Amino acid sequence: MTDTSGLLDPELDAMAEREAIAPAPTMWQTVRHEVFHRPATRIALAVVVIFVLVAAFAPWIAPYDPLQQSFLAINQTPNAAHWLGTDQFGRDVLSRLIHGSRNSLIFGLLSPVFAAVIGTTLGVSAGYFGGVVDRVVSRVIDMLMAFPELLLAILVAAALGGSFWNIVIVLTVAFTPGFARVARASTLAVKQEPYVEAAMAAGVRTPVIIARHVVPNILAPIVVLMTLWSASSIRIEATLSFLGIGTQPPNPSWGNIIRDGLNNMFATQWPILSGGLAITVVVLSISLIGDAVRDVLDPEAG
Amino acid sequence: MSVLIEVEGLGKTFHDTSARLGPRRPPVRAVDGVSFQVMRGEVLAVVGESGCGKSTLGRLLLHLIEPSEGRVVIDGQDMSTMGAAARRQMRRQVQMVFQDPFGSLSPRRSIADIVAEPLDAFGLSGSRRARRETVADLLRMVGLPAAYMDRKPRQFSGGQRQRIGIARAISVDPSFIVADEPVSALDVSIQAQIINLMQDLQREKGFAYLFIAHDLAVVRHIADRVAVMYLGRIVEIGGKDQVYGAPHHPYTEALLSAAPEARPGRRSGRIVLQGDVPSPSRVPSGCAFRTRCPLATELCARETPPLVEVEPGRLAACHFASAFPITRRRNAA
Amino acid sequence: MGGPLLEVRDLTVAFGPRDMPLRVVDGVSFALDRGETVGLVGESGSGKSMTALSVMRLVPEPPARIGGEIRLDGRDILGLPLREMPAIRGRDVGMIFQEPMSSLNPVMTIGDQIGEAISLHGRMTPAARRARVIELLTLVGMPDPEARIRAYPDQFSGGMRQRVMAAIAMACNPSLLIADEPTTALDVTIQAQVLELMTDIRERFNSAILLITHDLGVVAEICDRVIVMYSGRIVEEAPVEALFDAPRHPYTRGLLKSVPSFSETRERLYQIAGSVPPAGTIREGCPFRARCPLRMPRCAVEMPPMAAHGPGHRAACWATAEEAAA
Repeated sequence: MTDTSGLLDPELDAMAEREAIAPAPTMWQTVRHEVFHRPATRIALAVVVIFVLVAAFAPWIAPYDPLQQSFLAINQTPNAAHWLGTDQFGRDVLSRLIHGSRNSLIFGLLSPVFAAVIGTTLGVSAGYFGGVVDRVVSRVIDMLMAFPELLLAILVAAALGGSFWNIVIVLTVAFTPGFARVARASTLAVKQEPYVEAAMAAGVRTPVIIARHVVPNILAPIVVLMTLWSASSIRIEATLSFLGIGTQPPNPSWGNIIRDGLNNMFATQWPILSGGLAITVVVLSISLIGDAVRDVLDPEAG
Repeated sequence: MSVLIEVEGLGKTFHDTSARLGPRRPPVRAVDGVSFQVMRGEVLAVVGESGCGKSTLGRLLLHLIEPSEGRVVIDGQDMSTMGAAARRQMRRQVQMVFQDPFGSLSPRRSIADIVAEPLDAFGLSGSRRARRETVADLLRMVGLPAAYMDRKPRQFSGGQRQRIGIARAISVDPSFIVADEPVSALDVSIQAQIINLMQDLQREKGFAYLFIAHDLAVVRHIADRVAVMYLGRIVEIGGKDQVYGAPHHPYTEALLSAAPEARPGRRSGRIVLQGDVPSPSRVPSGCAFRTRCPLATELCARETPPLVEVEPGRLAACHFASAFPITRRRNAA
Repeated sequence: MGGPLLEVRDLTVAFGPRDMPLRVVDGVSFALDRGETVGLVGESGSGKSMTALSVMRLVPEPPARIGGEIRLDGRDILGLPLREMPAIRGRDVGMIFQEPMSSLNPVMTIGDQIGEAISLHGRMTPAARRARVIELLTLVGMPDPEARIRAYPDQFSGGMRQRVMAAIAMACNPSLLIADEPTTALDVTIQAQVLELMTDIRERFNSAILLITHDLGVVAEICDRVIVMYSGRIVEEAPVEALFDAPRHPYTRGLLKSVPSFSETRERLYQIAGSVPPAGTIREGCPFRARCPLRMPRCAVEMPPMAAHGPGHRAACWATAEEAAA
């Protein structure tokens, strides 16, 4: 029989007992600790939640129809009736901002999520299986990386027209190689870890190894990249709208609120200021949340 | 005793397959024409220096690395001709214990998940409750309190982690365990604990070990038979006492004589080999050991000595091995 | 000059808060004479490397706080300003590390690296320096030194790099050579070469060698005296034969018994129970008591002092001190 007597001496056992009373932190405890013990993260989370709620309930929240023009009230500065003033067509800036958040947030979240899923799948396959798969994926990544995402988006939007889904697809294609590259590099590193080899040796199936050992360990950089690019995505949508190939006027998005405001900058600065501030606040909040998520995913945290 | 594992002409050449452009690195001949058998319940130790191919050999046996040539027969079934599904079932018979107690346990999984991983892989873990009970038994078997099963590996010391790795390997009741340097990363006072545990489990459960090591004293303690490797080839294989008592290959003799022993006053009479182990991408012609061998002749450069039986159950690959064992020859000189 | 070459008295290295310090080295005293090889033996967290680094003042202060006294050739090392240390490292003390690759600059030829070590301590013409580099490489057994001085570290094997390290360490004929696990990363046949080289250096230059290792085989092979450390403290110190023949500390005894032997085979190895405690975590009493078969109540309260057990043989254990007195 196995000799286990005297394996753990009294002192170490006592130490273990004390530890047992306070068990290892669960995932939820780690999340709570990382997210809620940092005021900045709490504020960021609140900001994003508020913006999402605003976007979801836009028609009910907005005080006016965002498209309704009024020549009786153009270029107003903030006042009791129009909290953020009006633009050159007399449209309520606050209402346009609220309705515009729908387009901007959808672009900001949809394309990065699509790109993350597709890019991670490609990158993990390339990194894990190597060989021909790797060579094909790597070349495609290199090719796409050669185009700046904005240029790619402009090219496609110019060729196909600026419909909503075209923009989403364009941004997804533009972001995918970045995710694929990060996922591939991280997978190559994780694949070298002895515990992956241990899982292979134990007889674990390849899909299970990828799902259980590889993906969780490469998630941290992917999430950071996702938050980074949801910010870029909002920015690029704004740029495209600004260039007139994103959200088509008179529909509002934060980008074309700024564009319209720019043409009328000397009459009123409020559309530019409020649109710019909305983008800045959301982008900053998403980045802060990304940092917190990365820390939660770090196995050595807590 | 019946034959459990039969290895025939096993070889592995690594080619530079990187995606980068430019000249390819020369192929590395890591394992070259290795043949041996492992009996049921036997401990066969593989010793040799870094780069001799002993770790690659262990991975070839598990088909963690696909062999370039040769075959591995486990329990009468040829792994190389087997279908993927059958080969996976075969995996249950063969498990592995790793050198690195820190890297070989996934940092984000609980001890229970790690220990039950092979069970889960073969659908043997049963209900949630049964799985926890099995894990508790396994932890107790390796000398860890079952209460530890919900913790993460980072809360354990090196020796405790190695126990967890051993619990994982024995969870599916394998008939063969490849142990790749299982104690070399541990503190000296912990090594004995792990060696004793591995021995106790082996005697209790009757599985066989392929024990890969560079520490000759540890091998002397745990092995039944010893295979000595040099540059991808087995140069000598035989019973432990025979190999340690009277080596038939000059490399074995040099290796034994170079190993320091924890006993002062043995300082004279050591054979210090000159030079380094050649790179496995540039293996010398003929006998690979000839560049460092004190006995090398022009014959050794021309012809590769085959691994031939020099005594019953004892094989050596040296042109002069069968003529006279090295020690006797030196004593005569 | 009289007195020992290196004298360490009551050395303490502490980290962390002052009211609850983590003493990774705790009250360590020993001395080293010229021409002597002393092994400093211990497991992870024993403080052996930290002790050696303190001698070179290579422990960053802060965060570390170093107390006690270190005298090299009568000079107070801990009292010297840090800017004078580089002159002492290299000229008076040479060092060899475990991983020779990370200690060598990969983009400099080894000739330049050895040459740099030479010129740090005295001006020389380029020709004279080159001659000295070749002399050193020959000394450490490098084949074909004239050709090898133009090679880069990655063109050498581990054993050859360790020879280069030894050549750098010996560049100014130091009186003390500190070798921190010099053979741990090497294969046995290469280890044999490096051990032979170290013995050779000591004999030729009458240098003192402080060999830090966890390998009792290496100690038995080349050391004259042994110092055994456990959890930051010296638990036993003895001439090498005495230590292996009649160890006086239960830790040393356990360690020697637990190592498998070449000559005799046993059914089962002796095992020391428990795990190695992390450095400095046991603050009161004898650090080994939790794993000790001879443990008694007193061990939990008071750290045993070093008791004499014969010429040059001391051990810190209440139980064996009683044995000796009885």
